[in-house]
Amino acid sequence: MNMLAEKPNYNDEIVKLFTIATVFWGVTGFLVGVFIALQMAFPALNIGEYLTFGRLRPLHTSAVIFAFGGNALFATSYFAVQRTCRTRLWGDGWAKFTFWGYQFFIVLAALGYVTGVTQAKEYAEPEWYADLWLTFVWVAYLIVFLMTLKNRKEPHIYVANWFFLGFIVTVAVLHLVNNISIPVSIFGAKSYPLWGGVQAAMIQWWYGHNAVGFFLTAGFLGIMYYFVPKRAGRPVYSYRLSILHFWSLIFMYIWAGPHHLHYTALPDWAQTLGMTFSIMLWMPSWGGMINGMMTLSGAWHKLREDPVLKFMIISLAFYGMSTFEGPLMSIKAVNALSHYTDWTIGHVHSGALGWVAFISFGAIYHLVPVLWKRPGLYSLKLVNTHLWISTIGIVLYIAAMWVSGIMEGLMWRSYDALGFLEYSFVETVAAKHIPYLIRAFGGILFLSGSLIMVYNLIKTVRGDAAPEENLYPAEDAGETVHA
Amino acid sequence: MIDWLSDNAGMTGLMFFFSVFCGIVYWAFRPSQKKVIEDHKFIPLKGDEQ
Repeated sequence: MNMLAEKPNYNDEIVKLFTIATVFWGVTGFLVGVFIALQMAFPALNIGEYLTFGRLRPLHTSAVIFAFGGNALFATSYFAVQRTCRTRLWGDGWAKFTFWGYQFFIVLAALGYVTGVTQAKEYAEPEWYADLWLTFVWVAYLIVFLMTLKNRKEPHIYVANWFFLGFIVTVAVLHLVNNISIPVSIFGAKSYPLWGGVQAAMIQWWYGHNAVGFFLTAGFLGIMYYFVPKRAGRPVYSYRLSILHFWSLIFMYIWAGPHHLHYTALPDWAQTLGMTFSIMLWMPSWGGMINGMMTLSGAWHKLREDPVLKFMIISLAFYGMSTFEGPLMSIKAVNALSHYTDWTIGHVHSGALGWVAFISFGAIYHLVPVLWKRPGLYSLKLVNTHLWISTIGIVLYIAAMWVSGIMEGLMWRSYDALGFLEYSFVETVAAKHIPYLIRAFGGILFLSGSLIMVYNLIKTVRGDAAPEENLYPAEDAGETVHA
Repeated sequence: MIDWLSDNAGMTGLMFFFSVFCGIVYWAFRPSQKKVIEDHKFIPLKGDEQ
């Protein structure tokens, strides 16, 4: 059977919508992030009731994780599953429902945050009514994805789809279990969780860590396994390693959550279990990173020529770095210093900005010319500018948070000769002012880079040609046909 | 049987999942299937994206 003979009529309209939403929510989320970073440096910026740090912080995290990251995952999974299954996305109406339904959830959640409606669970702040709505949308997403896989013309399900499916199924389970709650009244926003005490804490961090493991890792690895080979025009380094990568992540990640609860009321054995599985995660994480990077084995020159590929490979470097740092921080002795400090914030952002955002930017830069049927991007120079401005921004951000976090951790545990605490809490806050300024500057650079991307994408969609620059030849960009 | 399983759920669960994982590793890395499995990596490179 010649699978390439019949060319499917791909549903790219839905991918376009999700791509636009990704860019819109990304810039919004980065902007709110810069504002709350400035609030940390200059508390006077906490203006009025609705724009305090406490309300804007979940707005920022949800905007970047669920709105930017979520829409990127929808766009790329819908794009990749069609190409790797050689069939049209199942259910146009259902797919459209997932788009509008997901945007409605984002707005519903955001309105809750600024008006003070929250479950007060990190990364699971939306109240019961928004959670219920998201459940419908997510089930529709699962059905669309599964039915597309069922209709595939390609006999084998490519590994990127395993990661996407693992992400969709696990996030559904996590969302349902962590958000079981009883509303106070049917017309009221307030609810109380079914779980209580240390069980509630354990379930929350089982959810929270696997939101990182499956939403921000497995899903984006799906992006990596499709877009890196496609962009490089070369197959992934080892398919067998990708299978091992998938199953070892699935088997191990789910147990790592208790490392968020070191030195708490959680039983000690559970803390040690979480730490042990976190350390074991080093191996699959680095196996996956090496698999992605070695895809360029024998074709490293492509990195010099293609800034879009640079985005993807730098994202893998950040993936390797943050998945080294995470297990390190899960070790109880290290966690005693790092927990509750800015080190955690720096760690999260090396993963979120360096890995999640960069692999998304790479995918978006690859997608837009394909979706809008343009010969290439408006300007590769601007892609390069975006790359370096953002990379410098991330490095400034995470270095400032390392300094700030380790400094405050050491200040908190300093005793004088008589056994009294050396520093009051407010002294540790004051000592962080300079790192906070550097962090805000790093964030401004990252935001500026994303605005350059918006300009470049708009010019690409309009079909403008950049003066004094040859558009990147599709032949080398991996956009070519490989029979 | 049920009583025994519930009393030993931790160990039996661990053994079960570890065995499944080992089975997957064996399945993926069988030398005889190397070419068949590795050939799947060309799927994204077949056909164009338009």
